[in-house]
Amino acid sequence: MDKDLANFSTNYAQKLGASYAEARLEESTGNSTVIKNGIIQATGFDKAEGLGMRFIINKKMGFVSTNKLTKEKIKQVIEKAIKITKATGKVGENIELSDEKAHQAEYTVKQKIKLADLSGEDRIKVLMDAEKAIATTKVNVPSRYIVLSDEEVTEYLTTTEGTKITAHIPRVHFYYFLSMLENQKLSQRYWVYGAASGWEQIQKWNIPKILSEEATTMKEVLTKGKKTPLGKMPIVCGPQVTGIMVHESCGHPFEADRILGREAAQAGESYISRDSLGKKIGSAVVNIVDDPTIPGTFGYYLYDNEGVKARRKYLLKKGKVTEFLHNRETAKQMGIKSNGSSRASDYEKEAIIRMSNTFMLPGKQSEEELFEGIKKGIYMKNFMEWNIDDKRLNQKYTGAAAWLIENGELTTPVINPVLEVSSLKLYPSIEAVGNNLELHAGDCGKGEPMQGIPVLLGGPSIKLQGLRIK
Amino acid sequence: MHEEIAHYLSEKLQKKGADDVIVQFGEGESSLIKFVNSKISTTKTWSNANLGVFIAKDKKIMVSSLKEFNQKAADELANKMMQNIRKLQPNKEYRGIAKGPYKYKDISQLYDKKIEDMDEEMIDITKQGIEAAGKTAKRVSGVFEKSKSEVLILSSNNIHAREKGSSLYFSLRALANKNASGYGSCVSRMKDKLNFIDIAEHAGAIAKQALLPRKSIAGKFDVLFEPYAFAAMVERFADSASIFNVESGLSCLEKKQGKKIGNSKVSIYDDGTIPNGFASALFDDEGTPTQRTAILEKGVLKNYLHNTSSAKRYKTKSTGNAGLISQKMNNIILEKGNASKEEMFKSIKKGIYISNVWYTRFQNYQTGDFSTIPRDGAFYIENGKIKYALKDIRISENILNLMQNVAMLGKETHQVKTWEVETPTFLPYTLVKNVNITKPN
Repeated sequence: MDKDLANFSTNYAQKLGASYAEARLEESTGNSTVIKNGIIQATGFDKAEGLGMRFIINKKMGFVSTNKLTKEKIKQVIEKAIKITKATGKVGENIELSDEKAHQAEYTVKQKIKLADLSGEDRIKVLMDAEKAIATTKVNVPSRYIVLSDEEVTEYLTTTEGTKITAHIPRVHFYYFLSMLENQKLSQRYWVYGAASGWEQIQKWNIPKILSEEATTMKEVLTKGKKTPLGKMPIVCGPQVTGIMVHESCGHPFEADRILGREAAQAGESYISRDSLGKKIGSAVVNIVDDPTIPGTFGYYLYDNEGVKARRKYLLKKGKVTEFLHNRETAKQMGIKSNGSSRASDYEKEAIIRMSNTFMLPGKQSEEELFEGIKKGIYMKNFMEWNIDDKRLNQKYTGAAAWLIENGELTTPVINPVLEVSSLKLYPSIEAVGNNLELHAGDCGKGEPMQGIPVLLGGPSIKLQGLRIK
Repeated sequence: MHEEIAHYLSEKLQKKGADDVIVQFGEGESSLIKFVNSKISTTKTWSNANLGVFIAKDKKIMVSSLKEFNQKAADELANKMMQNIRKLQPNKEYRGIAKGPYKYKDISQLYDKKIEDMDEEMIDITKQGIEAAGKTAKRVSGVFEKSKSEVLILSSNNIHAREKGSSLYFSLRALANKNASGYGSCVSRMKDKLNFIDIAEHAGAIAKQALLPRKSIAGKFDVLFEPYAFAAMVERFADSASIFNVESGLSCLEKKQGKKIGNSKVSIYDDGTIPNGFASALFDDEGTPTQRTAILEKGVLKNYLHNTSSAKRYKTKSTGNAGLISQKMNNIILEKGNASKEEMFKSIKKGIYISNVWYTRFQNYQTGDFSTIPRDGAFYIENGKIKYALKDIRISENILNLMQNVAMLGKETHQVKTWEVETPTFLPYTLVKNVNITKPN
């Protein structure tokens, strides 16, 4: 990586009149293998390098990106970008950034088993082992689609304020989509795993075990599952369900750019407003954080893409709104400092406000203790279909693996229980929080052009009261 | 220079023993204006080049890309690919790539030189769009993007083809207040065919109408879908016809070829040859000429979407839908009918008008069970007239049921490409009977 190109870019933007410039030079290598119904479809590897730069000129914000990395080409695209940005004139919004300390740092995620040392055969073996494990369960899984991928990214960030940060982050990731057919009934499940790590994490996950357990669980639901009882009853959600709820109806609406209307045409706005700070929207047992600094996590980083030092943010503390996710622009508008939530998926995209690892903090009770005292209720271990409206209020989760709780014990599996609930009712309904914290991976989409970014979403099992199952 | 490297790499890989080679070189420039709360918030400029490579050796398949365009990088890539491919496992399903040369039919209105020079004019157009929506709405957000691109494709099977393209995309959301919004978008390959004022005024009008008192309802209703809304469902349905998705369990169309699965009124096509179509192209990713393919014709499932390899496996012909690994859609068409919007409204005793949806997710792709959420204005209709705006409703349905229950199709076609609907979809206003609507706790 020729870091001088990034420094050259910010200097050149400044020379042309920019009051601020921030360039990211990114180099990445990636591998992926796709297997469908036991047949390796293709193996791929990619190498990419490119530059993305934001700048402010006449108080207007511009972004420029290229992978044609010669000084001559960079000069040309910067000149073009500055010309367009200047031309916005009166219809252009005046952008200001919060004052932040400039950092110089370099950090690396260490790999015990280096991704670069692995062969295509090593990667294929994991997938073939997974196929064998599914076959051993004797569950009928007619469609199996699995993707295993890994990447190593080096990012160099430099700004005209003196920030210079280099980050080396490897990531491993796998996705599966299985269709189980038993008892003439068909069920489908997908899930995602991801970490900032070397290959050792792939071994730790034990992918064959994950897939065979998935198939076995769904067989039980398909062969023994009964119709879901409807009506008001206690509901216990497993960590995967808690995780998606927290991500969708707490993480997203707490993004300050959504609160200020900046994503109205794309990912939407928010039910939360600036006035929500300090207000109680959940029960006292609800504590939700976003924390990029946890080593090994999929959403890991120590400095965001504006060079602001990352830290744990409390979004909800004892049910009260305590903090939003900010970049320097939204922080300035709200008169505070940024909390380091600005990220870009790659060099072609501008950094925008993103979640990192967003999860509900665990309580003290075990999952079994959450079931205690429930005469009749539903346990939703995981889900398949989900969605939420653009203000992040009206959400739906349809259970995949789910059971009836009777007199404090799990009894019969139930087919596709549906929880359709407003965020304003969901968070006050949380009566108890388990101690079984799990963090799950996601590829979160936002922005235009769309940026998919690695995140974790999670929490422990939670007990909800007063809601209806459909 | 970049093209020379594409040729060099293709020859190198063949010399080193690859059975099949496809090299795709693409180069593009784009500008995007993002506007927020009626002001331009960011301008974005891109200039990128990319070279995609596909090789097969003894039925083993490898894909890669090159972004450094020099001989050394090409040599390194060719060596690495040929070394690694030997150790892989064969894809027993693989049956080869398209065999050229082909004569490509000219498709009109895919490239307009005038688009290249309109950087600063984009700001004027954005201003006009904001003003048009702002007549009835309080604030307006969206994007306006222009792109030009060139693609060259070379293969070891006598394919050598190139094409140039240009495109414009204008997408806008108008808000009358925090809870009342309307949406509009338009796309064009030609500068003079972008009807951005019409869609901006439409978004503003829906936003204003959505200001009426609101409530949530549930049950079965006749629903009149705006093209923006129904496009999300038509796109997902058409994607089910990709043979890759059928085999992966991501489709409700498995084992249904030749069967009647939709209402006789419903015909759905994939078509890469539409003049001014946002995804129209002379050829697919392996150089096969694009075509018009019937997916559903009068309710009968006619074809799956194939590339050369999958077509051979299924003893049929490629439909010109090759991606390098899986089949992909071109433009999708839901054939129009002959009803006017007024006639459709009049036919509704108790129903709902839905202007847009988002977040379409499946519980089960094979059975077709899914839900999607109305976004922007949705309205309750009684005796053919809008009574009031609705809030917090969801369509919880089955996609095959929807195709069965299509009752009326409008007589005008709209090309829809939005943040939510990535595949350009041509369709009219559509009335569907007995749509299941649910509401939250």
